[in-house]
Amino acid sequence: MKKLIVILLLAVLAWDLGVIFLGLNFGNEHFTEGVKDQYLEKTVTELNVANTVTSIVVNFRGFDTLGEVTVLFLAATALGGILYKKRHHVGERSVLFPSSSLVMSGSKLLFPAIILLGVYVFVHGHLSPGGGFQGGTIIATGFLLMLLAYDNYSVSHNLLSIVESLAGIFFVVIGLLGFMNHGTFLENFLPTGTLNSLFSGGVIPIVYILIGFKVAAELTGVIYTVLHEKD
Amino acid sequence: MDESLFKYIEFSIYGASILLILIGLYGALVKKSLIKIVIGLSIVDAGVHLIFVAMGYIRGGTAPIFSPGFENDASRMVDPIPQALVLTAIVIGFAVTAVALSLVIRLYKHHDTLRIDEIKNLKW
Amino acid sequence: MVGTPVLLVVIPLLAAFLIPLLGMIWKELVRIIPGLVLLYMFILSATLLNQVLHTGPIVEVIAGWRPPLGINLVFSPFSGFLVTLMTFIGLMVWIYSYRFKQNVDFEPAKKYFILLMMLVTGSVGIVLTGDIFNLFVFIEIVGISAYALTAFYTERNSAEAAFKYLFMGALASTFLLLAIMIIYTQLGTLNMADIASKMPEMNTTYKITALVFLLTAIGIEAEMFPLNGWAADAYTESPGPIGAAFAGIVAKAGVYAMVRIIFTMFDVDGTMQFMLYIGLITLIVAETTALRQDRLKRMLAYSSIGQMGLIMVAFGIGTAEGVFAALFLMFNHAIIKPLLFFSGSYLVYNSKDKFIHETNGMGKHIPITSILFALGAFAIVGLPPFAGFWSKLSILTAAADENMIIIIALILIVSIIELVYYLRVVNRIYFFKMAEGVEPKKPTLNALFVMVTLGVIILLVGFYPDAITGVLHKASGDLLDKTKYIQDVLLLNP
Repeated sequence: MKKLIVILLLAVLAWDLGVIFLGLNFGNEHFTEGVKDQYLEKTVTELNVANTVTSIVVNFRGFDTLGEVTVLFLAATALGGILYKKRHHVGERSVLFPSSSLVMSGSKLLFPAIILLGVYVFVHGHLSPGGGFQGGTIIATGFLLMLLAYDNYSVSHNLLSIVESLAGIFFVVIGLLGFMNHGTFLENFLPTGTLNSLFSGGVIPIVYILIGFKVAAELTGVIYTVLHEKD
Repeated sequence: MDESLFKYIEFSIYGASILLILIGLYGALVKKSLIKIVIGLSIVDAGVHLIFVAMGYIRGGTAPIFSPGFENDASRMVDPIPQALVLTAIVIGFAVTAVALSLVIRLYKHHDTLRIDEIKNLKW
Repeated sequence: MVGTPVLLVVIPLLAAFLIPLLGMIWKELVRIIPGLVLLYMFILSATLLNQVLHTGPIVEVIAGWRPPLGINLVFSPFSGFLVTLMTFIGLMVWIYSYRFKQNVDFEPAKKYFILLMMLVTGSVGIVLTGDIFNLFVFIEIVGISAYALTAFYTERNSAEAAFKYLFMGALASTFLLLAIMIIYTQLGTLNMADIASKMPEMNTTYKITALVFLLTAIGIEAEMFPLNGWAADAYTESPGPIGAAFAGIVAKAGVYAMVRIIFTMFDVDGTMQFMLYIGLITLIVAETTALRQDRLKRMLAYSSIGQMGLIMVAFGIGTAEGVFAALFLMFNHAIIKPLLFFSGSYLVYNSKDKFIHETNGMGKHIPITSILFALGAFAIVGLPPFAGFWSKLSILTAAADENMIIIIALILIVSIIELVYYLRVVNRIYFFKMAEGVEPKKPTLNALFVMVTLGVIILLVGFYPDAITGVLHKASGDLLDKTKYIQDVLLLNP
């Protein structure tokens, strides 16, 4: 009975979404005077950032990103709160079977390469596709690989917490420096350099590097907390 | 691009995103396992993100990156805003999923089951 | 000059990132700093509110991009009034829980205070922001803090309530995202004022679909019927002060977002009536359910949902009088419901199941808490001369001006239901004998301070309603003037 109601509801929703989506005119301009064209223009003329997505994420809509980083921080905090136990056994994990030596040495080999790739992705976030979130996630997968391969691999929880706090603090402080220098929060206050060079875009690459650190620390922390969850 | 091929792509994107949303909602509303409910919610998110990014596409458009050596004509670039918004939405979706899974761990410890019909208050 | 509106959001974020570091130096700091931040937020918003009442709204841009390019914050009399109210309640919740969490370990205490501070900050952000995607981000900040706070007590079975809340919240964010997508693809902008000015160009089908999705999403946050299934569980299972924060802060932010969407952004005919009727249904269903509850906190939760319905009814009347009444109700509800939650959680402090009959005879043992609970109960029902009377009166006159006789009758009937179930509790507190083996818990000094402060405000507003009506009139005028909002934001001088 419940299934039937749900299926009926979903059918209505499907019809509705289908009508809406079909009318959305895929592949063509949807509107005449949106903010999009101004973003595409100003990212080159005023910010000297090649990757428009980056300039939107970090500068034009940087406030969203600050909120987003906060959501991640809160998720890490919430996880620790929800899974809190009186006595915390760190380092004990339920391992069904140990990994083979092939996996172990393979992971060891791959780990530095993954970290390097992650760092590359977030350092070049303003020049090429990628950025802090993507780079941070790649670094966290490196740690995940190590945690899966070695059942006694451990990351210092305090260190992770310090890294994520410092990255967040510096993000807000850079925003506040913009506030003091130019009057609005997160405004760029550094010279923007030339387009398509590593040192361009003012504060944008700095902020994205901070986000990279923060995301890497938070995702690793989340993985670590859940992996060590045992009765 | 060929017109019929383009239509085919258009319909497959709509179809895929609507299907993802529906599958996810079905899983979240009907399935009895807590883990499956969480997976369902993630699938719904994926569907919404897919359609949102696809809406920024412009026929024959390039990536909104002004790299040297490419044709950098702003009018032929795809819309960067949906990409930026979906980046934010993905991260938020991840955070919600993480919290949901931690709640599932708590529920499992408390009730020794993942089935919602055996957890009293979760029936609704 | 104490600061600008953006600091209301940024300073708490900075503090939230700092707390884990400072906690390593001195553990007490994780309790003190959120309080200082909340105090700063309250002082800042009160100062700014005083300023905008004389000079007009402050529109602040972020990252130096004028709207619609950048995100902007709007501190108008309406939003400023709500922010001041929310930060005040946040401060009260902090004072109340300062000692309350003394016996809890360091780690959970740290998390509790960070999450509490972010709950307030997210709600403040929802109210201040002028950008619809930014609204989504702040709703998620509130959401994640709220899920975690609901599940705070690991020994209670609170994870169920939190999961239920999270499930609804996740669906809400999906619908919100879909609505944002539809609006963006049609109008090419995310700024609320810009959307409002371009709204007439939008195709009606899309407009209505987007509105329905938005109302579904926000309705979950604003406890609208039938999307409020999570609310009663979340209020019941969460720690006492958090229930107060949900009623006083989160629900208010939800209603604000709903009102902003209906009054400012969309121009669809009939949304006012929709709000009116959905509010009425919420009110009637919630109050009749409250009548049947045998647990104190659940009863308070349903009463809170009913009050949110009443606020929606008042907004739905749509006239200046109606909006004024709604704001008055919001103010009263934000002051009275936390008082009821605070005093109520002491009345059933040592009981496991928090049944109403366990409050029997508490009046003799913890007299101040009991009298404050009674005061709150009388005030929320709307007995003169307490604060609730004036707001009930103003909604009735607003409805009378529009000749809505049926609505007046229904509100009066529901008020009687409300009176019945609150009097039932007050009767038990004073005229029943306490059962054997029940140990009343004396409130701590902090809790007493908070409850007395809220009680004094109820009495003050009850005897001198003029103290608050001036602000409320300005705020309601500000909400109804859509053209001015659009002009303030879009024609901003850099």
